[in-house]
Amino acid sequence: MMLQMQGLAGPDRPAATAWPLSRRIGLGLLALLAAFALLGPLLVDADPARQDLSASLAPIGSDFLLGADHYGRSLLARLAHGARLSFGMALLTMLSAAVPGLLLGVLAAWRGGVAERALVALSDIVLALPGLLLVLILLAFAPGHFLPLYLGLSLALWVEFFRVARTTTARLLVEPRIEAARLLGFGTPYILRHQVLPEIAPLLLTLAAFAMGTAILAISTLSAISVGLQPPTPELGSMIVELLPYYAEAPLAVLMPGLLIFLLVLGLQLTARGGTVR
Amino acid sequence: MTRLLLGRLIQAVLVALVVGGLCFALVRVLPGDAAFRIAADRYGPDALTGQAAEAVRRELGLDRPWPELLLRWFGDLAQGRLGNSLVSGEPVSEELAGQLGPSLWLAACALALSLLIGLPLGLASGLRAGSGLDRLALVGAVALRALPPFVLGLVLMLVFSIRLEWLPPAGYGTWREMALPSLTLALGLAAVSSRVARDAVAEVGATAYYRFARLKGLPAGAVVLRHGLRNAGIPVVTYLGLQAVYLIEGVVVVESLFAYPGIGHALVHAVIARDVPMVQGAALVMGLMFVLLNLGVDLLCRLLDPRLGAAR
Amino acid sequence: MMLVLRSRRGALHAALGGILGGALRLAGLLALAAVPAAAEEPPPPGRTLVVVGPWEVGGLDPASNGHAFTRLEVAETLVGVDASGAPAPGLATGWTVSPDGLAWRFPLRADVRFHDGSPLTAEVAAESLRRAWSNVGPLARAPIAAITAADGAVVVALHRPFALLPAFLANHTAIVLAPASYDAGGRVVRIVGTGPYRAAAVAPPLRIDLERFDGWWGGRPAIARARYLAVGQGETRALMAESGEADVVVSLLPVSLARLRRSPKLAVQTVTPPRTRLLKLNAGSPLFSDPRARRALGLALDRAGLARVLLRNPGLGADQLFPPAVAGWHVPDLPPLTRDLGEARRLLAEAGWRPGADGVLERDGRRFAATLRTYSAWPELPPLAAAIQAQAREVGIDLAVSVGNTSDIPARHRDGSLDLGLVSRSFALIPDPLGTLLQDFGAEGGDWGAMNWSNPESAALLDRLAVLADPAARAPLRRRVVEILQAELPVIPVTWSELAVVANRRVAGVRADPLERSYGLAAMHWATP
Repeated sequence: MMLQMQGLAGPDRPAATAWPLSRRIGLGLLALLAAFALLGPLLVDADPARQDLSASLAPIGSDFLLGADHYGRSLLARLAHGARLSFGMALLTMLSAAVPGLLLGVLAAWRGGVAERALVALSDIVLALPGLLLVLILLAFAPGHFLPLYLGLSLALWVEFFRVARTTTARLLVEPRIEAARLLGFGTPYILRHQVLPEIAPLLLTLAAFAMGTAILAISTLSAISVGLQPPTPELGSMIVELLPYYAEAPLAVLMPGLLIFLLVLGLQLTARGGTVR
Repeated sequence: MTRLLLGRLIQAVLVALVVGGLCFALVRVLPGDAAFRIAADRYGPDALTGQAAEAVRRELGLDRPWPELLLRWFGDLAQGRLGNSLVSGEPVSEELAGQLGPSLWLAACALALSLLIGLPLGLASGLRAGSGLDRLALVGAVALRALPPFVLGLVLMLVFSIRLEWLPPAGYGTWREMALPSLTLALGLAAVSSRVARDAVAEVGATAYYRFARLKGLPAGAVVLRHGLRNAGIPVVTYLGLQAVYLIEGVVVVESLFAYPGIGHALVHAVIARDVPMVQGAALVMGLMFVLLNLGVDLLCRLLDPRLGAAR
Repeated sequence: MMLVLRSRRGALHAALGGILGGALRLAGLLALAAVPAAAEEPPPPGRTLVVVGPWEVGGLDPASNGHAFTRLEVAETLVGVDASGAPAPGLATGWTVSPDGLAWRFPLRADVRFHDGSPLTAEVAAESLRRAWSNVGPLARAPIAAITAADGAVVVALHRPFALLPAFLANHTAIVLAPASYDAGGRVVRIVGTGPYRAAAVAPPLRIDLERFDGWWGGRPAIARARYLAVGQGETRALMAESGEADVVVSLLPVSLARLRRSPKLAVQTVTPPRTRLLKLNAGSPLFSDPRARRALGLALDRAGLARVLLRNPGLGADQLFPPAVAGWHVPDLPPLTRDLGEARRLLAEAGWRPGADGVLERDGRRFAATLRTYSAWPELPPLAAAIQAQAREVGIDLAVSVGNTSDIPARHRDGSLDLGLVSRSFALIPDPLGTLLQDFGAEGGDWGAMNWSNPESAALLDRLAVLADPAARAPLRRRVVEILQAELPVIPVTWSELAVVANRRVAGVRADPLERSYGLAAMHWATP
């Protein structure tokens, strides 16, 4: 919804080196976050739903390593479980938006004609429908459940992948070297895989990086208007909303889930664009 | 040019038909008793009762067959009417007019501010791609995009309303109340548009003609003005054009944080209250605005790069 | 707080770096130049008083939005309310009732004019009330046979005696409007009332502008112009008060109060309205049909803890249905509802529930699992539900929290699909709590009260109270009703509530109204230094 056309500037050039510093930093960050999300829930034995009202808003370092939220729940445990859920959900949402978006985009550019026009019309109509409306309506079928939330977000997000994939592919297809490959008798799948995909991949990665951040933020936006996951599910976006009223007393508790989202998007950005910072 | 306008006109009609029908179908099949939902929104949580819901059901004829209701909406639409809100009973067009105006103002201010912030920053970091400024701008952009808008808005309120006492935290009516919500939105937009502009400029900076111009001895500033801005402009305009829709629909949270009346708020309210004509009306207005914006973006891009028109 | 501000501001500047840049600073300077530095000086007499509250302005229909116009004193009712919450003269100078209790006479004040200059007559008042009677609202539930006008009085004829009639007429849906308020079809198109302020502009959903009405029968208010702003977010309301943009702010989040109390320029008042957050149980479901299961759930709740942590006032834990401020209905020596996990487990075991492998109780292969439904119209309800969920789990009751729409509770009450709901119930809509109790705990239960529970004794007592006028005779009956509700627990009280009103010290005469009937604008005036 929020992130379109990041890479309209055209394909990023291949990097001078495949592994510049920024990409290595990015990958390092992502590895750390993945370890936190995957191993954290196993290593932290505190129950993220266990409340202890006498430890409400306990500070960092006391009985709780990262402090406690207003119900006295361990923030470390909630962050670890929340990271697993949020990152997993964001990845799933991004993939289910990117894969069909990419495939349809390439298909539209490759086939042209009626197929292309129909797909473009469809994407325009989806864009013209408020994304929020789609999510709200899907959510109304099963409030607080995971599936409609993720479906609704994917439905709103696939269009930008489609648009970028289509315009870039269309531009590539008229380039002489692809014409030449076609004349030389290379098959469609070969050309797509070896000549088109490598060119549009960096762009789509950039889009994907922002799309994951957008997905998590969208969930927090939805919880801010009281639609979203059911309590006591730990989820980074809704944790921010839940803790927001306590911003004056426990500012760090509000910022920590935001920090995780920030590191994720930064890591993705650095990895996806590592080669482009010249 | 005529083809372009005609294409957009057809798109507009298509959008109207699909949005109207789809909203109607979706809101009709949603679970939950519409009479209770409408009554809840009308009478508030304290006074809502089953009797109130039954009264609403009788008054609105909610049990009439759906084809009749849908056909009536399209019939009204053809005569330029959007029907009456089921909650307030007022004409939808009047309700929307009251909220669309502030929304448009907010969107326009946010766009302008985001250009003021994002473009210079994007140009500067694009020209010095890889520099400290570029990296800092990337981190800043990611930070702004990783912060939910209501957190950003709250921070701005704390800084500008409480600490500096310059601007009111909420309300609407004058430019003072609009400053903080539009800044909140503008920062989120500028975070990305500055990166889009930066990429475009960096791209231009890496092209042969740019390097040639520099070799010729032209100063960097002149080259950027001549080649860079124009080339960077197209992706930024395209990006912002699409984002303008987000500004109008996606700002619900900013609207509610700053108590600013807007169409996003109206839409969420209407979906929750199952106010079908309001949902249809709000979605229709947003859809048409999207078509209009696309037209504007097309025209502006042609202005920036006349080759685009010729290519079609 | 200062520290927090500084660190946040520092973080902001560091993170945004150049992004904020010169443009922003320029805008800030412009703003500074445009704002008069009047914060500390006495306000000029023509200043607009800004009242901020959480309630959106829905429209003009008194049935849905009359409360906005009574709170802002634009429109008035025949019967008002005195300081103790009892019905008192309003537009009517008093009332008399016929010996058979079937005919009530409300003589009107003589000197009352509407905002359009037209006089208030008995005919006009009766017509206005007839509209309220035929619309949605409490009057439609009263046993009214006819509303007529006779010799400067409104006469209400009843089907059966009903002592609550004056309290019902004090409800905000029964405001008296001038004939000019209605269009030909009977819809309210403008609010022409009799109050000290007239509505100069009603801009749904967020704003109402008010001007003093010089012809008010009660005198001339000190403040000439006022504006109501609806601000939905509690955090924003607190900041409106702190920044000095608002003069009076109604309803604040408990977490903001301590901070606001420390501000030298603000005065904070809190009152306890007759409002209770309670668990509405489906006593017809196999889970809760046994009173022991209801009592056990009640014993699992740490009310003081909930109130201390989430409401920031341990005294708000509801150990009975009514808070101490509700005179006549709070019973001081009633055995309180407390937390006792051992007793809760014992009662559940007695009812046949045994802990399963995961600690959740089971009986005949059925888990003690239910859905706790609540809604977000009151921001404190979802957090309370999450805490109740954790506390119920400690005695082996597995609750899934579902936060939905307000209408889910009455709609599911009607179709029988509700297990458990957390609701916020006001007993002040009709100034006498009996009006709400009749609706909630009558023989058939109520949308917001008992579900599939009835008790012949309490139903008979409530019916008796509805016709009984003598206060001395009413007291023991009321006590008995409260005792039955406490023993049977058709609903489980969780917390009472607190209404906070914050006023800037430049305004004097601000009084928090526990019944939330009026902001008391007419009694306010600018403080002289």
